[in-house]
Amino acid sequence: MALAGVRVIELAGLAPAPFCGMILADFGARVIRVDRTKGAMTVDTQARGKRSVALNLKNPKGVAVFKRLCVQSDVVLEPYRKGVMEKMGLGPEDLLKENPRLIYARLTGYGQSGSYAKAAGHDINYLAMSGLLSMLGRSSEKPYAPLNLVADFAGGGLMCAFGIVLALLERSRSGQGQIIDTSMVEGAAYVGSFMWKSRSLGLWNRPRGENMLDSGAPFYDTYCTSDGKYMAVGAIEPQFYQQLIKGLALDDADLPAQMSVSDWPQLRQTFTRVFATKTQAEWSRIFDGTDACVTPVLSLDEVLSHPHNQARGSFFKDSQGEISPRPAPVLSRSPAEPCHSRDPFIGEHTRSVLKEYGFEQAQIEQLLSAGIIECNEAKARL
Amino acid sequence: MALAGVRVIELAGLAPAPFCGMILADFGARVIRVDRTKVAMTVDTQARGKQSVALNLKNPKGVAVLKRLCVQSDVVLEPYRKGVMEKMGLGPEDLLKENPRLIYARLTGYGQSGSYAKGAGHDINYLAMSGLLSMLGRSSEKPYAPLNLVADFAGGGLMCAFGIVLALLERSRSGQGQIIDASMVEGAAYVGSFMWKSRSLGLWNRPRGENLLDSGAPFYDTYRTSDGKYMAVGAIEPQFYQQLIQGLGLYDADLPAQMSVSDWPELRQTFTRVFASKTQEQWSRVFDGTDACVTPVLSLDEVLSHPHNQARGSFFKDSQGEISPRPAPVLSRSPAEPCHSRDPFIGEHTRSVLKEYGFKQAQIEQLLSAGIAECNEAKARL
Repeated sequence: MALAGVRVIELAGLAPAPFCGMILADFGARVIRVDRTKGAMTVDTQARGKRSVALNLKNPKGVAVFKRLCVQSDVVLEPYRKGVMEKMGLGPEDLLKENPRLIYARLTGYGQSGSYAKAAGHDINYLAMSGLLSMLGRSSEKPYAPLNLVADFAGGGLMCAFGIVLALLERSRSGQGQIIDTSMVEGAAYVGSFMWKSRSLGLWNRPRGENMLDSGAPFYDTYCTSDGKYMAVGAIEPQFYQQLIKGLALDDADLPAQMSVSDWPQLRQTFTRVFATKTQAEWSRIFDGTDACVTPVLSLDEVLSHPHNQARGSFFKDSQGEISPRPAPVLSRSPAEPCHSRDPFIGEHTRSVLKEYGFEQAQIEQLLSAGIIECNEAKARL
Repeated sequence: MALAGVRVIELAGLAPAPFCGMILADFGARVIRVDRTKVAMTVDTQARGKQSVALNLKNPKGVAVLKRLCVQSDVVLEPYRKGVMEKMGLGPEDLLKENPRLIYARLTGYGQSGSYAKGAGHDINYLAMSGLLSMLGRSSEKPYAPLNLVADFAGGGLMCAFGIVLALLERSRSGQGQIIDASMVEGAAYVGSFMWKSRSLGLWNRPRGENLLDSGAPFYDTYRTSDGKYMAVGAIEPQFYQQLIQGLGLYDADLPAQMSVSDWPELRQTFTRVFASKTQEQWSRVFDGTDACVTPVLSLDEVLSHPHNQARGSFFKDSQGEISPRPAPVLSRSPAEPCHSRDPFIGEHTRSVLKEYGFKQAQIEQLLSAGIAECNEAKARL
């Protein structure tokens, strides 16, 4: 796999860093998640393929163990607020001094500098600071944050993984590591670069929710079907729009012009009325195989069995029967291999990992009895 | 820079592939965009740092020129529907045969297989097929697509760039290229992996728009201020929620419990009323420097000058005075260097690129006079 042989130490955190770690694990990296001792249940639901080591980082001996793991690895991924790692003597300068090849990735909401660097926040805050939240949400409503997709995951976990692989590539030439400062405000904004850049095209001239791509245009929106489900319509280009009209059994002559913005409310009403006359399955049958750009809005469960997705293998079921998206993108020769087994327990691999990193058996037992580390191999899952 | 020396041929397309090309250019790759001849204006607004070559791909001689460019490059990035490149004799097997080190990246909505592979579509369709659209939008509204952020850019351009860099890293070990099949349906779903995986935590038990992170919770939403602007509130953890209440001048004793879902409508009304009593600036002053997780919702222009963003340098102005997000993430030793000059004209670099790729002067002039290639060096911008 593409990241075979890459050793990653992931400091346990909320959703963004675990997602980054999962991506790396999916593509072949050895990801070791460092959890705290005395914590029974993990909140990391994106833990497939990882191993877990439990360390007491309040104790200098635990910090020393952690330092050794980092220095002997390729990547450190930490999600803490500015200064936390430095206080433990585990800042980038500390670790890079001992391992100049280390890629030290820091994934935070606000970044390592600036007045908000030490403040708490969540996706909605980072999205607000990025400028993008001001463009999101229907015109009749206040701004709407699309779950925590854009800052936590796209601009956070994925962006950080991208930076890590970039740094690994650069290291293959230079032999040196470096520090990656991933700010989710900046990651989200960068993902949305097109918004700033397409203003000159007039794409966002109207208020929020009244433009072509933000639910303003009736031919780029969702519609409720007779069975309470939805269809998604994306018929922008004239030739695609024609196929939409045809599939809806409407007559161009009866309708206002596609791009007549002042007539969009009326056009929307017409589409709403027509879509409500058939079920989602009936509309799918009408539009499948055409270029009308009309597709069913599938639920998290329906995605698995939709014929197109099924033929692609876009989703898989793991050994616990849970559905997950297949890792993207698909590489032909060194594809990702997402782990299908259950997620690790906290501290499940402490013994084996420490052994692998060169700790002596006696040393390991001593650390365990002193509570510096914990190992939960045999813990039954309730 | 991290991608110094990497030569990319980007076949001109809509927003996703140009974004992918821009990311690669930002991080140091030589990105050559191949445009069609007889086209006056480009629609690529994400063209900074790229060069443009104009070729007539309806003519076999033009295709031959493109083939030579591809074979002498590291990455080919093509956004066409399944079969289009193959028809021109430029499919992955054709090109990889002549250059086994080539990374052949294919960025499409539905991927290279499955029943929709030849169908037209846009972000809203890919998002619908990914399962994520079914979770987006307030409870009182039909599903809402957040611009074209999630499928076109996060699951499309960025995901493809990630795959390309993965493949480049793998090639540095194996010496071989490969094919990247980037489907935006799959890319979007993968970005949203957490949604499937956190269902077991009960995070999405309620209908759309009534959960913790999808505008159900009053302490995770936006609020209008007295001057018609907005604040973003993300105060999930109890200790942060306390600071929110405090900053709003409210008393815990007067309010229902934070997690009492049936009381959320009442709590929302209270927050709405209070936020409407001050301006955005006043609220920013109240909450800045606290852990209340309350931030202003900034516009695309306000982001540049907000003190935190300004200290970070999160946004920059190019030579045309346009604001853009700085590339993310920030690499300490080999950072991105986004081009500040104007975007290329179509065909601006045809001569210089062909010369660089080994075409003889006489050959180039012949191609130009025959209309196989076009060069628009001196075209004044209107």
